Amino acid sequence: MKKFFSDKVAITVFTLPALLIFTVMIFIPILQVFWNSFFEWDGLSEGLFIGIDNYIRLFDDKAFYIANKNGFIFAAIITVLQIVLATFFAIAVANSKIKGRRFFRIAYFIPVVLSVTVVCQLWLSIYNADTGLLNKFFEAIGSDYRQNWLSDRNKAIMAIAVVNAWQWMGYVFALILAGIKSIPNSYYEAAQIDGASDFKAHTKITIPLLAETYKFCLILSVTGGIKAFTEMFIMTGGGPGNSTYTLTYLMYTSAFKSGEFGYGLAAATVLVLECLIAIIVINKLFKQDAQMN
Amino acid sequence: MKYAKKLMSLTMGVALGMGVLAGCAAKPAETSKPADEPKAVAETPAEAPEKTNEPVTLKIYAQYSDDDTKIPYDYAVQELAKAYPNVKLELDIQAQDDGQKLQTYAATGNLPDIFQVGLSQIETFKKSGNIMVLNDAAQKSGFIDKVHEGSKVNLYNEDGNIYAFPYAGNELVVWYYNKELFEKYNVEVPKTYDELLEAVKVFKENDVIPMSVFAKEGWITTALYDAIAVRYDAGGIDKLDKGQGKASDEAYTSAAKKLNELVKAGLLPDGVTNLNYDQAAALFYEGKAAMFLNGQWEIEASTQKLGDKADWMYYPAADEASYEASKTVWAGGGAPGGYAVNPNSPNKELAAEVAAFISEKYCEAKYKLRSNPMLALKVDASITPEKPFSPMMERLAKEIPNITSTTKFAWGLSNQPLKKSIEEQTQFLCTPQYTAEEFIQEIDKVIDRTNK
Repeated sequence: MKKFFSDKVAITVFTLPALLIFTVMIFIPILQVFWNSFFEWDGLSEGLFIGIDNYIRLFDDKAFYIANKNGFIFAAIITVLQIVLATFFAIAVANSKIKGRRFFRIAYFIPVVLSVTVVCQLWLSIYNADTGLLNKFFEAIGSDYRQNWLSDRNKAIMAIAVVNAWQWMGYVFALILAGIKSIPNSYYEAAQIDGASDFKAHTKITIPLLAETYKFCLILSVTGGIKAFTEMFIMTGGGPGNSTYTLTYLMYTSAFKSGEFGYGLAAATVLVLECLIAIIVINKLFKQDAQMN
Repeated sequence: MKYAKKLMSLTMGVALGMGVLAGCAAKPAETSKPADEPKAVAETPAEAPEKTNEPVTLKIYAQYSDDDTKIPYDYAVQELAKAYPNVKLELDIQAQDDGQKLQTYAATGNLPDIFQVGLSQIETFKKSGNIMVLNDAAQKSGFIDKVHEGSKVNLYNEDGNIYAFPYAGNELVVWYYNKELFEKYNVEVPKTYDELLEAVKVFKENDVIPMSVFAKEGWITTALYDAIAVRYDAGGIDKLDKGQGKASDEAYTSAAKKLNELVKAGLLPDGVTNLNYDQAAALFYEGKAAMFLNGQWEIEASTQKLGDKADWMYYPAADEASYEASKTVWAGGGAPGGYAVNPNSPNKELAAEVAAFISEKYCEAKYKLRSNPMLALKVDASITPEKPFSPMMERLAKEIPNITSTTKFAWGLSNQPLKKSIEEQTQFLCTPQYTAEEFIQEIDKVIDRTNK
């Protein structure tokens, strides 16, 4: 094995294809996005170099701040809902005393395999202001908390975030459950001998040992929130007005509805940077935590 | 191992360097020329297309989604088979995607031979040389002579050229109402906004939705705003598009405030911004909504569903005097658009000829099979509609000669950023949480930026 890793030709041969694919498929397009964001460009004609004008306009655009605020609200909601619920369900399903574990394991994962369109249509019915399940439920329990869930400029983004959290919770659940199963049973037996309760055993053993899994889930949820698009595209079309815009949506409408590709790419550049910063911060936080431990 | 690391670093460096260079070389090329210099391709002069019997297949990108588009298209294809037996059309159905697919075709050099376009795409394609100037083809085929005088606006672009063969005439925004519901609750057809507010109050008290609008689509909320704006300024949104007015002008501010007031009074149903056409139309057809807004093409469907109960009214105005005075002013109207031709098509001359033919037959079918008289072209006098015009259409047809001005539908706006913004902002205005001041500020910002 040692000899194999010291074989320079083998290293080159095996890494070069991946490196080339990464460069062509990811790195070059990102550079193009960045470069083209300095142009006034309609996507077809020759662009006009305008320096940082697109960025100046972006930071003066109300939609940019709405998009950022929504990105963070979306990320916060899906992070909390997915990770907290997935942890709770995974611990429950991993417990051999719980009956019907197999059923729950499959049930929690079902939304993940559904098409986003199907899920959105389902929730559109649930959120319907007149006939939706949610408003009917409030009506049935005698509450007057009926809402225009998707037509309310403040609540719509939260309602959409819940849909995403509901669909992808199963994915986070599967990751955490796999993590829990990889923890040796002897740790829990030792904790039991020391008199630790189940709750203590999970807080002192399960959760700390799943740090890497949580880091991965957190990165997925946070970046997924910042770059969310599909649910708002299907459910609200970014509306009412631009109240459910995210940066991805701003990029899309600028490019394809306004024909301002340069401006859309400036939004895309900021989006890439935000995702990178989020990943760096999360990595730093987990590294610090590991060092402290 | 050290050597291997160096080799890896070198490889990565080269790969990144290549990336940077490739990124820098990517379109758009830097230019000192103004970006809007038109490049539309002129027809090759003089040479008439040789008529051969060799079979030719032309790709066409056209609407084909409902009876109103399928029936005329199929009719035109049948007629084409008689007139041009050697020409076969390969249909690529137009996606409802704000022109993304067409733009992608243009960007990748895959434009079909013939394609349907709206004004904003004509403007973009003109600059990039992806649309053919059809002046000669229109002249030779006699197309120009067949266009109604009032529809010349649909034929000629602002620069005086023809880029597409239109078929739709000056279509209108029509304010429909359910006569039976108005009679049942003793509500007069409103002439003024005060009367409209009173009608809203009565309908709401009786659990009837005053007005149904498929506000999930931005063009119809724009049409609603425009129907109010034209009662204050006949120019409506067309004037904003041309940069001749601003949302902060008194007329447009009054319109925004009035719409806001009506929405707050309950004119529109709960969750209106999430209603699509089917849902909104169902409310009107089932007698759950007293009024409905759509184009005049809705007449056929509404007559089918509601029969004599459905009718249209003039848009209300601030007072009775302006209501009477502005009866001849309508929201909606035409803009250049229709069947365009790819200048890089190997059969561009033939494609231009076929595009003109298809457009003409499309009009013929709309008149004959869909009983729609609102067309860009004159239809042969020997052709009569299979079904007589519905009473609503009869009434509207009588109004058409009296119309003194129209505006535009959102898709006819040439200022793309304004189109996007006004669609969003009018949708926002359909929610009670939004204010007229926010609307005015956002629209003015776009107008100021795009008119610089």
